[in-house]
Amino acid sequence: MTEQPTALVIDDERQMRSLLRIVLEEDHYRVLDYESGRQGLSEIASRRPDVVLLDLGLPDLDGLTVLKRLREWSHVPVLILSVRDGPEDKVTALDLGADDYITKPFEAAELLARLRAVQRRVVSEKDEAFFQAGHLGIDFTAHTVTVKGKEVKLTATEYALLKVLAQHAGKVVTHKHLLREVWGPNAEEQSQYLRVYMTHLRKKIEAPGAKEKLLRTESGIGYRLVLPLKE
Amino acid sequence: MTPKAALLTVAAPEVYYGDDRTADRDRTGASRYELLRHGRISPLAGMSEYALAAVFTALVTAISVALEPFTGYESIALLYLLLVVALGLRMRRGVVLTVAAASALLWNFVFIPPRLTFYIAKVEDGMMFAMFFIVAVAMGHLTTRLRRSELAERRRERRTAALYELAHQAAFASDLDTGLRAAVSLVESIFATPVALHLRGQDHALSPAPHAASTLALSAAELDDAARVFAGASASENVRRGEAQILHVPLQGRAAGMGVLSIRTERPLDASEKELLEAFAVLIGLTLEKDHVMEAFKRAEILEASARLSRTLLESVSHELKTPLAALQTGVDALAQQTANDERAAATIREMQWALRRQHRVINNLLDMNRLESGVVHPKLDWCDMGELAESAVELAGDALAGHSIAVEVGTDMPMVKADPSLLERCLSNLLLNAAANSPPGSTITVRARMDDGALRLSVLDSGPGISPEDLPRIFEPFYRGAKSRPGGTGLGLSIVDGFVRAHGGGVAARNRAEGGAEFVMRIPVEILQPQVLERLG
Repeated sequence: MTEQPTALVIDDERQMRSLLRIVLEEDHYRVLDYESGRQGLSEIASRRPDVVLLDLGLPDLDGLTVLKRLREWSHVPVLILSVRDGPEDKVTALDLGADDYITKPFEAAELLARLRAVQRRVVSEKDEAFFQAGHLGIDFTAHTVTVKGKEVKLTATEYALLKVLAQHAGKVVTHKHLLREVWGPNAEEQSQYLRVYMTHLRKKIEAPGAKEKLLRTESGIGYRLVLPLKE
Repeated sequence: MTPKAALLTVAAPEVYYGDDRTADRDRTGASRYELLRHGRISPLAGMSEYALAAVFTALVTAISVALEPFTGYESIALLYLLLVVALGLRMRRGVVLTVAAASALLWNFVFIPPRLTFYIAKVEDGMMFAMFFIVAVAMGHLTTRLRRSELAERRRERRTAALYELAHQAAFASDLDTGLRAAVSLVESIFATPVALHLRGQDHALSPAPHAASTLALSAAELDDAARVFAGASASENVRRGEAQILHVPLQGRAAGMGVLSIRTERPLDASEKELLEAFAVLIGLTLEKDHVMEAFKRAEILEASARLSRTLLESVSHELKTPLAALQTGVDALAQQTANDERAAATIREMQWALRRQHRVINNLLDMNRLESGVVHPKLDWCDMGELAESAVELAGDALAGHSIAVEVGTDMPMVKADPSLLERCLSNLLLNAAANSPPGSTITVRARMDDGALRLSVLDSGPGISPEDLPRIFEPFYRGAKSRPGGTGLGLSIVDGFVRAHGGGVAARNRAEGGAEFVMRIPVEILQPQVLERLG
C-alpha cells in the first residue's frame, strides 16, 4: 500500500468517531467520518474510500439497510462495528455483503488487522499465483500446498476449501459461503461436510503444537484463515 | 285444595323433567321432587292414581244417578266416556284402561235395566254395552297415547331449553367461575340434588379440592371413584358408598378430560335423565376446555410479549454498557500507540487494558445471566466437531490460559454432535477460565469429550486443590463465591454454564477427583452423526 488509504467511518457516537479517527490516523489512514447512514452512503459515492467502517445501530437508517443499499452499486470493503455479538447478527451482515465483523469493544490492534485483511481482497483478486501465510504456502497454478517448505498432499475437496479461505485470508468466511463455493449451491445446509473436511485440513496444515492456529473457528458463523499480525 | 288441583300439581310439575316417568311409575319419586321444589306437600300428592281415579269414577256415578231420571240410562254412557277421556289426558294408561272397563261395568250394573245386576235383558242394550266397552277402552288408549307423545315433546323442548340455557350461560358468562356456578345451579335445580364439581389441576390430574360452586362434599373414597372415572374419561359411573349413591360423570373436552361432575342420587337415573346429564357434562367439558385453551393462548401471548420486551431491554442495556466501554478501550489503545516508547506509560496502559478486558467479561457475564433469567436463550442447533469446539473455546478464554497447558482429549471415534456451538463454546471457555483460576500456573487442564449413552459428556479437569465440601453444593448458584476463591471473579461464570447446559436439556456437575483436582462434567443429550457415514461422502 503505497498511497495513503482512506477509511470512511459511519457511527452515531461522536466519541467513537473521534477516537477511531485518532487510532486510524496513527496507522496512516486518511479518515472521513459521518454520523448518519444516509450521509455516509452519499459520501461513499463521491469520496470513493478504500474501506468503510459501519456501525449497525444508526439513528436514521439501520446499518444493515445501509449495507444492502451500498452493495447494490459498490464493492468497497466494509467492516461492521457493532455491540451486537450474536452469531445470527454477524451471519446476517456477512450474508448481506459485509467483509468482516468486529464487536465493540474491540482492541485497536485487532481492528487494524481486520482492516488490512478486508482490503487484501483487492490484491488477491489479481490472480496471484502464490499465497504465503506464516508456515503455509499455496501455489495456485500448480495446486500444491507446502507447510514449512514441505509439500503436503490434499484431496481435491480439501484443496478447494483451503483455496477459498486463502482468497479471503484474514476475513471470516461463512459456512454457507464455503459450502456454496466448494460443494455447490445445493449443499448450503450440509454443514456436517464442512466440519469433517475442516478437521482433515487442520490435521494436515496446522503445525503441531503451535500456539497460534492458522484456521480459526468462528462459532456459529464460519472459519477464518488467520494472517500473522506481522508478516 | 281440591282433589283436582292436587292431581294437576302432581301430574304436571313445571320444572321436573321426568314427569312422564312419574306418571308411568309410582308417585313417591315425584312427591320427593315436589317436596324439594316447593317445600310443601300437597294433601293428595301421596295418594295413588288408582285411588284418585276411583274417587272421580264414584263422583261421576253419583252425578249420573242424580241425572238418570231426566236423561235416561243411555246418555249416562256419554258421561262415563267423558270421564275416560279426561283421565286419559292426565293419567297413566293402566289407570285409564281400568277406569274404562270399570265404567262399562258400572254403567251396566247401576243403570242398564234390570238395574243393580250385571244381567242385560235387551239385545240392543247388550250391543250398546259391548260398543261402550270397546269405545271406552279405545278412547282411553288413544288419549293416553296422545298425552304420552305430548309429554315426550314437552320433555324434548325442555331439554333443549335447558341445554340452550347452559350453553348460553357457559358462552356468555363474564368468567369461567360464574359460568360454572350457573351450570351447577342449573343441574342442581333440574336433578334436585347437590352437585360436586372437581376440575383438572395443573398437574393434569383431578384436583382433590372441589370447585367453589360445588354444593356436595365428596368423601375420600368417593373422591377416589371420581378420580377413577376421570382417568377412564369415558363412561359415567354409579357408585354406592354406604347410604349415598353417587353418580360420577366425566367432563370430557375434545382433547382431554377436564374434570368430573358428581351428583348424589337416591335411585338410579333413567336413560333420558342420564342422557341429559351427560349432555350437560359434554357442554361443561367443552366450556372448560375452551377456557383452558384461551388461558394458554393468553399466557403464550404474554410470555412472547415479555420475551420481546426483555430482548429489547437487554439490547439497549447491552448497548449502553458496551458503547462507553468501546470508547474507553479505543481511547486506551490510541494512547498505547502514541506512547509506545514510554515504558512507564506503557505499563500504566497495560493495567488499564487488563481492567477493561475484565470489565468486558463482567458485563458479558451479567448480560448472559440476564438473558438466561428472562428465558430468551434458545439453542440454535448445528453440527459441532468437538476438537474444533475445544480449540475455539481455548481461543475465546484467551490470555487467561497463558500460564497453563491445555490438553484436548477427543477420541478419533468421536461423532459430530448437534448442539449450539456458540453456547457450548462459552460453557467450555468458562469452565477453562474457572480451572485456570483454581489451579497452579504451569499445571495441565484437560478437556475431554466422549459419548456416554446417547449424551455428549464434555468435561474439564484440573489439578488444583479441588472444591471444598461446603462450596460443592452451591457452586453453580449465581453470585456464589467460595470462601477461598480468588478476588476478581463475579461468581457468574459457572451459573452461566449451568444455564446454557440446561437450555440444551442437559446438566452440569462438579466433583473432586480421587487423584486430586476438580472435574466439571457437562452432560447433554444430543443427536449424533457417525464419522464413518461422512467418510463415504465426496
